[in-house]
Amino acid sequence: MIRTEHLCKSYCHHSHYEVRAVYDININISQGSFVVFSGPSGSGKTTLLNIMGTLDRPTAGKVFMYGEEITSFSDIALARLRHKKIGFIFQNFHLIPRLASWENVSYPLIPLGISLKERLERARLLLEKMGLADRLDHAPEELSGGQQQRVAIARALINNPEIIIADEPTSNIDDETSVQIREFLNELKTRGVTILVATHDAMFEKVADVVFKIKNGRIE
Amino acid sequence: MNKHLNLLFLAIENLLRHRAKTVVVCLCLIAILSPFITAITISEGVREQSLISVNAGADLYLTYDEFGRNAAIPLKHLDEIKKIFGVTTVIPRIIGRGFLQNKLAIIVGINKEDIPDSISCVSGRIFENPHEVIVGCELAKHFHLNIGDQFSMRCQQRKVFTVVGFFSSDSSIWGASMIFMSFRDAGELFGKQDVATDIQIHTLPGHNSEIATDLYDIFQNEAYRLQDKQMVELYVKKGFMLKEGIFSALYVVAFALGVPAILVASGFGLSERKKEIGIMKATGWQTLEVLELISMEQLLISFLGATIAIVLSILWVKGFNGAFIAQFFIAEITMLPKFTLPARFLPLPCLLSFFFAFLLTMVGSVYSSWRASTVSPVVSMNS
Repeated sequence: MIRTEHLCKSYCHHSHYEVRAVYDININISQGSFVVFSGPSGSGKTTLLNIMGTLDRPTAGKVFMYGEEITSFSDIALARLRHKKIGFIFQNFHLIPRLASWENVSYPLIPLGISLKERLERARLLLEKMGLADRLDHAPEELSGGQQQRVAIARALINNPEIIIADEPTSNIDDETSVQIREFLNELKTRGVTILVATHDAMFEKVADVVFKIKNGRIE
Repeated sequence: MNKHLNLLFLAIENLLRHRAKTVVVCLCLIAILSPFITAITISEGVREQSLISVNAGADLYLTYDEFGRNAAIPLKHLDEIKKIFGVTTVIPRIIGRGFLQNKLAIIVGINKEDIPDSISCVSGRIFENPHEVIVGCELAKHFHLNIGDQFSMRCQQRKVFTVVGFFSSDSSIWGASMIFMSFRDAGELFGKQDVATDIQIHTLPGHNSEIATDLYDIFQNEAYRLQDKQMVELYVKKGFMLKEGIFSALYVVAFALGVPAILVASGFGLSERKKEIGIMKATGWQTLEVLELISMEQLLISFLGATIAIVLSILWVKGFNGAFIAQFFIAEITMLPKFTLPARFLPLPCLLSFFFAFLLTMVGSVYSSWRASTVSPVVSMNS
């Protein structure tokens, strides 16, 4: 389902020297699998997930999704792909400040022309599922870290994506919520959703189908 | 269609969400646009009144020419002019200026039967005897004059005039500080007998060129100047264009100072905006959809700013009588005009205001938004 070939990403630091974030990554991820990328900070987990999730482009190498080489896609095609197939969960939530939870969750539906009523209804259902039925109208500033992450998960699921990409989803939240999120992602996997998680959290490795250990931008 | 409506509602919500930025941008727009609309409105009002006065005036204006400028003309040819075929009326006038206490007044010396129809007595009567005058209502109000009051001008204090009536005029500017008296009294006041500042000639339609030829024969080697209604109208228009031009030049300077203010204000919360755009892109928004949303926000804020600016301009002109700005367009008036200022709201300056406002806000926001929406979402989100 997702395949990478000799994937590389490097950054020029002040044009003086090059920093290799990921180097020569060749992986193959099958549909419906739970994949964990683990490794120390700065090992290149986030960069790899960003490239596979189309949020960033590689310096060299290719990414294939559903058999198509997505690295050659235009920005418009990539945005469309993200819209239809991919949901993101970020380490620091990336919710829009001062917008109510339900508005944050339903934000991706706005350009689809979906009515306010339907957006509210779909967001409400997801937030109820995340245990936030009483927090529909609360802005991110009024929520705890765990609650914000659950809102972010609801937003990732609003378009019924086939792939969930989670970057350190439990690093900024309490243990109890971490357990809930792991269980929830595992439940999604049982429904056929492909889960890609970059994490330090060793507990994820227990529920993962595949674990890639990354160090210095390479898979060990 | 639903998509665009959704974006419009989101744009409204975003403006409310970023209240501080919205208010600052609106205030900048108002500060720039309101004086502009007010000035144009007053200028158009004054121009309209001037043209009304010109149209109601004579067909030909005759003066002497000294050093390339209008000069007083003697009355010795008056009878000859009256006899020219096609001439219906000949009106010699003295128009001068003099101080009544500390206020500059316009003195019009004219025979009582020649007083134009646009001047109507609102109380009292027209002057009949020597040293009688009628005074414009605004001037009378300023000096608390009553019928029967006597005054003298600063230039000729021995000559005492008696107020016998007050008049109003179609034109509030000219009527505001005008005093009408007999032609003879005006001559005495300025110490010039048997001359007029100009002679108004009313003619039958289509006779102006023949009359000009006859006048040439009458004046022969004398340096005289003949201007027809079209020329006077042209001078008036040119004069206003010059004044508007000076104002516009000053305004460009103000504008140049205002633009950076708008740009800074529009860049207010830019990093938060970049993050938002990154999130939007990460959740599948297209660059065009992001830009459409930003444009709608700018359109709304421009509409709001320009509308408030127009309303404030109306208030400035109608409520505060163009205080502080009217002096750019009307000579020798104070910062707070004492007469009802002529004003004319035209749709074009209002539409231009919307356009300028939109242009300014777009310049302030679109480039940065476009940059944020064309780089990788990761870069925008982490900025």
